[in-house]
Amino acid sequence: MSTKGFELAGIRPVEEEKPVKRKWYEGKPLASILILLAITAGCAACQLFIPRDPSYMDLLNYNLAPCREFLFGTDSMGRDVFSMIWYGGRISLFIGFAATVISTAIAIVFGAVSGLGPQWLDTLLMRLTEILLSVPSLLFVILIQAVLGEASVLSISFVIGVTGWTSIAKVVRTEVRQIRGSEYVVAAKCMGGGFFHILWRHLTPNFISSIMFMVVMNVRSAIVAESTLSFMGIGLPLEVISWGSMLALSEKALLSGSWWLILIPGVFLVVTLICVTSLGNYFRRSANRSQSNL
Amino acid sequence: MKKSSVGYYGKKVLVFFFSIVILSLVVFYVARLAPGDPLVSYYGERAEKMKPQERAWAEKKLGLDAPIYVQYIRWAKNALRGDFGISFKYKRDVLEVIAARAGNTLILGGIGFVLIFGLSLLLGILCAWYEDRLLDRVICKVGTVTSCIPEFWLSLVLILIFAVYLHVLPSSGAYTIGKEEDLGDRIRHLILPMTIVVLNHLWYYAYMIRNKILEEVRADYVLLARAKGLNRRRILFGQCLRNVMPAYLSIMAISVPHVLGGTYIIETVFSYPGIGTLSYESARYQDYNLLMVLCILSGAAVILCNMIAQTINERIDPRIRAKEIMEESRVEYKGI
Repeated sequence: MSTKGFELAGIRPVEEEKPVKRKWYEGKPLASILILLAITAGCAACQLFIPRDPSYMDLLNYNLAPCREFLFGTDSMGRDVFSMIWYGGRISLFIGFAATVISTAIAIVFGAVSGLGPQWLDTLLMRLTEILLSVPSLLFVILIQAVLGEASVLSISFVIGVTGWTSIAKVVRTEVRQIRGSEYVVAAKCMGGGFFHILWRHLTPNFISSIMFMVVMNVRSAIVAESTLSFMGIGLPLEVISWGSMLALSEKALLSGSWWLILIPGVFLVVTLICVTSLGNYFRRSANRSQSNL
Repeated sequence: MKKSSVGYYGKKVLVFFFSIVILSLVVFYVARLAPGDPLVSYYGERAEKMKPQERAWAEKKLGLDAPIYVQYIRWAKNALRGDFGISFKYKRDVLEVIAARAGNTLILGGIGFVLIFGLSLLLGILCAWYEDRLLDRVICKVGTVTSCIPEFWLSLVLILIFAVYLHVLPSSGAYTIGKEEDLGDRIRHLILPMTIVVLNHLWYYAYMIRNKILEEVRADYVLLARAKGLNRRRILFGQCLRNVMPAYLSIMAISVPHVLGGTYIIETVFSYPGIGTLSYESARYQDYNLLMVLCILSGAAVILCNMIAQTINERIDPRIRAKEIMEESRVEYKGI
């Protein structure tokens, strides 16, 4: 009997999709990865090629426009911007990663406790995150920073990490609630698996893909937060060079019209952020999307 | 139905007040534990040269001598009567100080908010209509890039271009001194900050709406409508958009704090006299009473907006409620 007889009218013909062989690099944000790698490598190995000590103040050559001697010019304190860019990038990138590690760790533990715990605990913890979300994070950062005292690279990472975990925690909680009843979790519990064992061996591998995008985006927002804070004068002090603290001099630069002090660190910052974003989008993009009915 | 409604909103009101109390307690403690001398913000430079007796007298006068919890109770009692104390820096009633500035922020944030939502809906529809075609791709790319630019840097670049090099727009403030009543002058001062408020958020929400519409377009009823011969425009505007609206409204409600937080930074960059610059000053210079009211105001706005969003989701859009009930029962069943 042929299957033809059972074909229903109105059903879409299912097209056999041939597995298209894709080259390894297709669909991956190759350009962003390369640029990001170049910037990271340049920052990591900056001692090898930067021409001057970034904190040395050359009082004869201050506020110079980019020229052959000073590739990116000098700032109003006579420091060489080219050297500062690579040196400062180290600190900006480090803060981005450190803050993300802190906030992801808090988010995973918090979300898992909320997801695994009883109803009342869950409600309480989620209310707490809502209250935390309700204070503009800028104010919150200023307050915590005030408690911690003089800002350093580590304290800034801590502050940004501590204020940036709420949205990831919410996703973790939702995911955990959905898989907490699964047989393998129950089995692990029955065999006496502790909270951290279950979290690490059974829960994390399941929700890691759904928070990956947010984690990468967290790197981005941490770098933005650092530069914004340093720019406003409540982050890193001027002596600690980062892309943000370089921009803190921009008010003077506006008055003297020295565009290179504003544009150059900003362009590095923005290019890094764009690369990180496209990396994040790559994690989010679902492999196959269904066809539009419209 | 009526009774459950009362219970529903009653619970919301209770949660609201509870959250505000917790928030005020946290801010009160953190602010007072932070190092820094509130007397400096009241007496200026003089505070550093004060003798111990003078200090003690000043602290007593400002009500800073008691333990923190006593101070909190005192503050809460007065606050319930509508007396929030005086600002240390401005030496006026806190509410007066805020009222003088609130208008500016409301103009900046309010008009910005309306623009963001009108334009993002428009862009979202445009993108969804031309999905994966050139226009959609261009808008997506431009959007991703603009959403990556930190708002303070964008402000700097625009100031550099329009104020420093072209001399067409003012770089700071809300009006030129001596021209407070001149509407044109105010508008000129608003252009740059407003552009940044809008640019900074527009893309994010447009993208959200685009995705919501694209999700909706894949539903089966669209296929049915197509099969019946309705044209694309009527399906999109008459059916899909109506289904997207509740989600859109709740996104709008949730976005209020983001737009608000964005204006804080932009106000500081442009030295625009609004709530943002005021909060920044009060947090930096230990102006406790002012800080408390500002935190509570913005906190209340945020919590209120979240609640509105929740209510929209639960009450207006029955589909979401039904889905949640189904999911919950599934989870509970599995949990046993």
